[in-house]
Amino acid sequence: MGTFIQLVVDGLSTGSVYAALALAIVLVNQATGLVNFAQGGMAVLSAYIALELVQLHVPLAIAIIVSMAASFLLGAIIERYLMRRFERGDPDTAVVVTIGLLTLVTGVCAWIWSYNNQQFPSLFPSSTVSILGAVVSVSSLGTILVIVVIMVLLQALFLGTKLGLALRAVAINPQSAAFSGMPVGRLLMVGWGLAAALGAVAGALVAPQLSLTPNMMDSPLVYALAAVILGGMTSPLGVVVAAWLIGVLENLAAVYLPFIGYDLKVAVPFILIFVVLLVRPQGLFGRKAVVRV
Amino acid sequence: MSTAPARLFERPWMRWTIAVVIVALAVVLPLVFPAFTNQTLARIGVFAVAVLGLNVVMGYAGQVSLGQIFFVGLGAYVTAYGVTQNWNIALVFVLSVLIPGVVGLVVALAAARLGGLAIAMVTIALPIVGVPLAKRLSEFTGGSQGLSAIFAKAPTWSGLYDDQWQLYLVLLIGGITFLLTRNLVHGKYGRAFAIVKGNQAVAGSMGVSPYRFKVLAFTVASLIGGVSGFLYMVVVQYTSPETMSFGSSITLLASMVIGGAASILGSVLGGAYYVLVPQLTNAINPNLTAVLQGVILLAVLFILPGGLVSLPRTIRRLWTRTRRGGNPSPPTQAASRQADLAEGSPTERQGQA
Amino acid sequence: MNMRRRVKGVLGVVAVTSAIALTLAGCSRGGDDASGSSAPSPGITDTTVTLGITTPLSGATAGPGTCTVAGITAYFGAKNAAGGVKFGDGKTRKVEIKSLDDGYDPQKAAANYQQLKDSVFAMTAGLGTPTNRAWREAAISDKVPQVLVMTGDPIFSDQKQSPWQLGFVPIYQNEGEAFGKLLASSSAPHKVAILSQNDDYGKGYVEGFMAGIKGASNITVVKELTYEATDTSVDAQLTELASTGADVFFNAMSITPLVISSLNKAQSLGWKPSWFLPSNTSSPGAILQKANDVSVYPGIYSVAFSKAAASPAFANDEDMKTFLSDLKKYANYPDTPEFPHCAWSYMVGATLDQAFQKMTSPTRDDFMKALRSISDYQAPLMLPDTAVDTTKDGSPAVSTVLVQKYNGKGYATVTTWQ
Repeated sequence: MGTFIQLVVDGLSTGSVYAALALAIVLVNQATGLVNFAQGGMAVLSAYIALELVQLHVPLAIAIIVSMAASFLLGAIIERYLMRRFERGDPDTAVVVTIGLLTLVTGVCAWIWSYNNQQFPSLFPSSTVSILGAVVSVSSLGTILVIVVIMVLLQALFLGTKLGLALRAVAINPQSAAFSGMPVGRLLMVGWGLAAALGAVAGALVAPQLSLTPNMMDSPLVYALAAVILGGMTSPLGVVVAAWLIGVLENLAAVYLPFIGYDLKVAVPFILIFVVLLVRPQGLFGRKAVVRV
Repeated sequence: MSTAPARLFERPWMRWTIAVVIVALAVVLPLVFPAFTNQTLARIGVFAVAVLGLNVVMGYAGQVSLGQIFFVGLGAYVTAYGVTQNWNIALVFVLSVLIPGVVGLVVALAAARLGGLAIAMVTIALPIVGVPLAKRLSEFTGGSQGLSAIFAKAPTWSGLYDDQWQLYLVLLIGGITFLLTRNLVHGKYGRAFAIVKGNQAVAGSMGVSPYRFKVLAFTVASLIGGVSGFLYMVVVQYTSPETMSFGSSITLLASMVIGGAASILGSVLGGAYYVLVPQLTNAINPNLTAVLQGVILLAVLFILPGGLVSLPRTIRRLWTRTRRGGNPSPPTQAASRQADLAEGSPTERQGQA
Repeated sequence: MNMRRRVKGVLGVVAVTSAIALTLAGCSRGGDDASGSSAPSPGITDTTVTLGITTPLSGATAGPGTCTVAGITAYFGAKNAAGGVKFGDGKTRKVEIKSLDDGYDPQKAAANYQQLKDSVFAMTAGLGTPTNRAWREAAISDKVPQVLVMTGDPIFSDQKQSPWQLGFVPIYQNEGEAFGKLLASSSAPHKVAILSQNDDYGKGYVEGFMAGIKGASNITVVKELTYEATDTSVDAQLTELASTGADVFFNAMSITPLVISSLNKAQSLGWKPSWFLPSNTSSPGAILQKANDVSVYPGIYSVAFSKAAASPAFANDEDMKTFLSDLKKYANYPDTPEFPHCAWSYMVGATLDQAFQKMTSPTRDDFMKALRSISDYQAPLMLPDTAVDTTKDGSPAVSTVLVQKYNGKGYATVTTWQ
């Protein structure tokens, strides 16, 4: 039983890594209708910026806040001067542009900071606590807490604020939004900027554990996409729950289903998605999309 | 307003002569080119076929598939296994096409009921689960060390060098695949795909079953992927789990879009992109390949959002615009510039930034 | 009138095409005959010799990959600055290195080889088993040396299977077996937990370890688990292994952040076994000192044949200082390397230097003969009691490894279990 709880707790911790990135992807999707493959790469760039500041003896929290601001600007600039051209066209082209952006950002990080593993300081102390007989690291708890806070903020943003409503309107129907007098361009920039800032937090949370390299977010990206689709493209709560579910079920399947084992445990999220989507095509918490024919 | 050049290319006799010229060049040029050029062209052929398969399901039928590379890898593994077991090469070829096709059919039957993004997710699962699976089934796949299969040596009666023989094989098999696919997408199936891509509800109401045609498109794509896998083994003669890596999968997707989605010629250009860009970036600076590849991809799509295949179209439009003469009134120029920026979208966005 | 114009058009196109075709067919490609063993091989002139490397310079393995180019570039950069290498045929030549990125994609590695093979004298130092295997057969049939490559795959050192190849680093089985033998020298009973990377690297280590403990009745392997190189965390595996209560942990892991997190996780679970780490992930500076206090473990063992650059024990070592300054000056690598491949690649350069000094004619055949005749050569940065020996068939250039134990600052060689 002790092992079981430990696996669940570890799964939540790993799942939080995916959730951090997934939240940023959901934000961009809600605000601009695009799936941004480069979200992870941008998060890595933000983490490098924060690391540079830390190495200049800036306190970690301040460094992260500054990198969030820098990422906001960067996200807005990328939207205005790169993505704008592709947002109204073929969605496949837009996705490939984000893929190109990912390659470029990764390459730039490698160029400036090399491929060596950089140690990123953790916001939380490295001690552990015991919960229900399982050993949890304080940094995992801290990460989970921060994720929950962000999730609540995002949920509130989209459902409760005028800005959130405006962002969603612009993504769903830009023409009508424009006719209603909304500053469409500016809202798109804000959407990307917020997502980039969120990515900066994700990067800072995840880097201490994964060790900062240009390709750090490549593996979590696939899991984050899985969590986004499983949880529903429209729901921050959904993707966090989905990410945790993926992390936990992966661990449990690896240990308790020997024919899956540790090498094929990566199949678990996809089997999960398949089963859930057969029953609920909009994902666990998503809203059904209605398209006028 | 004159479109005489366009009409010229549509005339049947012109098309026949172009075909003859292409075939003649395809026969003669490999005998003249140095070995590395032939090998590069053969690799372009392999990935052109792979991109063609992706185009069938994604470009023409509009279903996002990130799993095409899985079928290429599967075809390559079947070929490698068959060759190392000394099976008849014709049998190996048939199996390397059919087995991926059957797998694709099964996957499609299950996945086609789901929505677009769900299909994307299921297809992502293919290469991601395929890699550890290939490592696990090591009696068939050679595990993480991969399988070497040398079988495309030029027979002595032909008097050709190996690279020439391999290029001819690729041109022949690839060419036939392209022809068959072209007939498929230019016929009634192609029209059905286009309707399913455009609007599934409308398709259903017109009696075109989206489910049937999605399954068909996906199966055709996986069959073509199997052909590409066979050709991969002809040219590379080695396969390993890295053949179907997720990175290769998204590069294949990028190649399709850069070549030109829903276009036969675009598939060839996509294959060329897949093979030539890494070589180009290596030639510029091997330490900066990632940066350069990102820059090239973004630059190409920025200038030609419709892909490389849209270059003549874009040039023609610029040509006719300059020929129409500089209409000096700023609003018209601004409007046409905006029309360019909004590439094919039906309405324009209100205002600028 | 239209008809005549059409016919004229067709005839025109056909005529031009035929003319081009006939001209081209006339000048068919000059034979690419395999050079006879007396004529100089490609890639070598009286003043220069060119080496080719295809290795990952982008992607997840780019860290070690960049090192495989940096080390050899640094070595020959220094040599060239001092005038060049004196070959056995009397000529002094400068060494040029052409390196290409293959992104750990075997297809690109094969393409890079085809691009380089006619302009380089030999291929060397590339990283990765699948990437080297992809063009191994082609190199054999083209008679191009593929030597001193960075993979522990045994096939490259088997002369019958790979006449034109030679591995550099010890085969993985070697390293595992060395530790297995050390453990077998202990008289106490031991329970061993194993975590290995799910590929030929991990499997090789485990195979060697099992061979090393064969017959030792006091040693039982209680659990064997694997992980993927792309995993974000191995917490679940550690949880499972910790619950076995094993007192020895054989950890064949090549991913630096996962090693650090394993060292931390095991502690936090209250599991304190003796550890074994492979040679490429045991660096004190890059790994052990970045984890939480590792002195809680009764012993951290590793196998090594080269001095670790990030180890304080070698901070004043003359060879190390030269190596680091060469890296900075000639290879554009200013940081202290955290991957051992930089040092290994430097040793490859030194070994090739030895082979060049023995060559008497500028051909690939002679080069291979010279390369295979080096014995008991202590390359710079090698630990005492290890040496390069290329004369044993079935063994790579380096096959002696020392088992070492961490002493809080660096590693010290041990011969029996303590």
